[in-house]
Amino acid sequence: MAPPPSLPVQNPSGPHHDSSRPPLKAQKEMTKAERRELQERQRAAKAAGKTPGQPSASAQAPKKPNKNAEASPKIPSAAPKPKDAGRSMAAHEPAPSHQRGLRIFSHFGAQKRLSTIKGDIHPAILRLALQFSEFKITGANARCIATLNAFKTVIQDYVTPPNTTLSRHLMTHLSPQISHLVAARPMSVTMGNAIRQLKFDISKSSIDLPEQDAKNELCKSIDDYIRDRITAADGIIEESCCKKIKDGDVVLTYSRSSVVEKVLLAAHAEGRRFSVVVADSRPLLEGKRLLSVLSRAGIQCSYLLLPSVGSIITEVSTVIVGAHSIHGNGAVYSRAGTALVAMMAKQHSIPFIVCCETYKFSAGVQLDSFTKNELGPLGDTLTPYPLAKPREALLLANEAHLEILNPLYDLTPPTSITAVVTEVGIIPATSVSAIPLALYRLP
Amino acid sequence: MSDPAVLSAINHRAVDAYIAKLRRRQVVGSREAALETLRVLRQVVSKARFSNIEQLTGIIRGVGGRLVEAQPKEHSVGNTIRKILHHVRDEYNAASKATKAKESRSERTEYSLANFISQGQIRKDSVWPTLHQPLAEDEAPITLRENDSNDPDSFAKVMKPVVMDAIQDVLDELETVYDNIAKTAREHINPDEIILTIGHSKTVEAFLKAAAHYRSYTVIVAETGPSYSGHTMAKALSAAGISTFLVPDSSIYALMSRVTKVVLGAHAILATGGMFAITGSLLAATAARTHSTPVVVCAGQFKFTPLWNLYHEYGALDFADPSSVLGFEEGALVDKVEVLNPYYDYVAPDLVDVFVTNDGDHPPSSIYRLIKETYDDEDTTLEYKSK
Repeated sequence: MAPPPSLPVQNPSGPHHDSSRPPLKAQKEMTKAERRELQERQRAAKAAGKTPGQPSASAQAPKKPNKNAEASPKIPSAAPKPKDAGRSMAAHEPAPSHQRGLRIFSHFGAQKRLSTIKGDIHPAILRLALQFSEFKITGANARCIATLNAFKTVIQDYVTPPNTTLSRHLMTHLSPQISHLVAARPMSVTMGNAIRQLKFDISKSSIDLPEQDAKNELCKSIDDYIRDRITAADGIIEESCCKKIKDGDVVLTYSRSSVVEKVLLAAHAEGRRFSVVVADSRPLLEGKRLLSVLSRAGIQCSYLLLPSVGSIITEVSTVIVGAHSIHGNGAVYSRAGTALVAMMAKQHSIPFIVCCETYKFSAGVQLDSFTKNELGPLGDTLTPYPLAKPREALLLANEAHLEILNPLYDLTPPTSITAVVTEVGIIPATSVSAIPLALYRLP
Repeated sequence: MSDPAVLSAINHRAVDAYIAKLRRRQVVGSREAALETLRVLRQVVSKARFSNIEQLTGIIRGVGGRLVEAQPKEHSVGNTIRKILHHVRDEYNAASKATKAKESRSERTEYSLANFISQGQIRKDSVWPTLHQPLAEDEAPITLRENDSNDPDSFAKVMKPVVMDAIQDVLDELETVYDNIAKTAREHINPDEIILTIGHSKTVEAFLKAAAHYRSYTVIVAETGPSYSGHTMAKALSAAGISTFLVPDSSIYALMSRVTKVVLGAHAILATGGMFAITGSLLAATAARTHSTPVVVCAGQFKFTPLWNLYHEYGALDFADPSSVLGFEEGALVDKVEVLNPYYDYVAPDLVDVFVTNDGDHPPSSIYRLIKETYDDEDTTLEYKSK
């Protein structure tokens, strides 16, 4: 999304601002393939120019799926990016005089293209950053696990320079890697929490240990974190949430959450007879993936788009969704649309259950979805439209007074949440701040 | 015993053709359906033979019954027929009263609460005679001769122009409906407001465009899947110079805290004050209610439908083509999964703040009264009953 021209700071300073950039008009007229090719070339040139030490191919290598990625969304592998063209064009358009309404959206921030590579970025991080920015790895858990695994590689490849110690220097080595990831896509709360833990572990590591041992120790603590806070936590959530699904239930879920997927599969494996309604919506249409997994497992599924939820909510007995993060007041920050489902469920007195590991706890209170949000990719490149309409009819990017916004998250107020299933038990949303584990107070 | 003259009129070729169009969804949208209904009715009446008011209303009711049966979810068809029937009876009563008046001028119903309850309709012709003064003057010289064996067509000769006028009146109303709704736009939209709308309603489009002449404001349009008609709306509004944001449906709740008004279109407005509207309206209206944002519904009065929908049933909705939700490109899934695509939502009256119509603004609570005034009770169900 183009930031309002009144805030020039946020103007994308990507490859499009190169001197090599062709005139905008020309770019508009190019086909998708041509645009993609051009972008690849620019990116490669950029990577080669800025980091002569790194093989420039590494910047182009991200098409390989990360084997560590627990979940990478099913999207066409070669996603063309006309959105970039659209964005940079919109940014250069003269501002119509009365665009005052824009300001309220300005702080969402434009999704930035990986522009410059500052400092010594590890190839694993470069690859990960591209996967993030192209939405090939999405989901709070998947992104956290992928980040931690990439950091393991970084740590193993790290050599402490002379006259310093690992515990003092490693973090300064990791910081540019982290900022590179953040530049690709704003950091998720889960990543922030995990990185905070990692920092703590690094500072704790004894200076007397041989370097390799210290690195192994750190990698082990990363593995432990993944195991304890994510994998094992999911196992417990799966178990306790399963009990809430009874024979004959109709479970509604929105979009796709890895935990909810596990819960539903486990309940099915236990022999419960229930059906699932998967609600879904643009911009990401992630529910389709959940749908294919569930229907392959033999669960009876219905699929509908979010606007239809109002009509079928009366048929639903439980709503189970995942979360991106949970705030101190119990508000759940999750995929955009979750709040709508919660609202409808509350109106019909249907239990609304959120599955959320405690490591997703985010300190502080957020009051509405405006305080913090992230804008999704533009255009229909990531999520192919149903074929009902000709594609040309949907290309709207160049209208003078038209802006396209794709907020990725919204905030579900604690009042519409019945319970939060965590690995420490099923609790009311407002009690999340009382869990010591979430606050990192355990030894 | 059914009347062959009436039956042959009801089974007119034009009716059959229109029924086929309705069934095949070649005519969709309340206004288009209403316009087409009037055209068909005009053809039928111009050819029909009738010699008394029962035959005439029987023909109109019979045509209406067949059309409603063909497409029960296109409520404006029935509404149009009811309106014509009401007009016809009005004028017939006025005319026959004028004929009778020569004999006695005594019978006049008193305007009292007791009468209102027993009649159910306050605008009976005799209550406010002034309303019908011009009509009565027009009709006064005409003497209605029903069932005249010497000249069976004499009744038709008098009544046909009357029916044609009624049809023309309703047609004119439909032609000007957008302009009349848009007239009050300025009073509803204030400078710098942020309006949320969904789908593509021509009424809402006209309303917002009219307001843009006087005010500078922002519109947020939700895409409204699976038709994604919001794209068309966003294009139309931005082309008119209104600052427009197109957002996915999922962000309705997220953005609602900054929205100052929700403007929706309607498919049919029920006597309860609730309405059927494009899927997603319920979500938007409920989100608006949660944030205490006013909901304005723009609709022509031809959408007023004498239905109640008290016990909202699933079947009251219309279901559309699932392939627009989950296309055949997802081949493996299509087999195993039930795909739902309800076309309309039922929005309860307590979620709507005002109906902006071509005849003034009305709260949901007064819709039933307007419906009582516009249609005759006996036409709530349309069918030709032979005596």
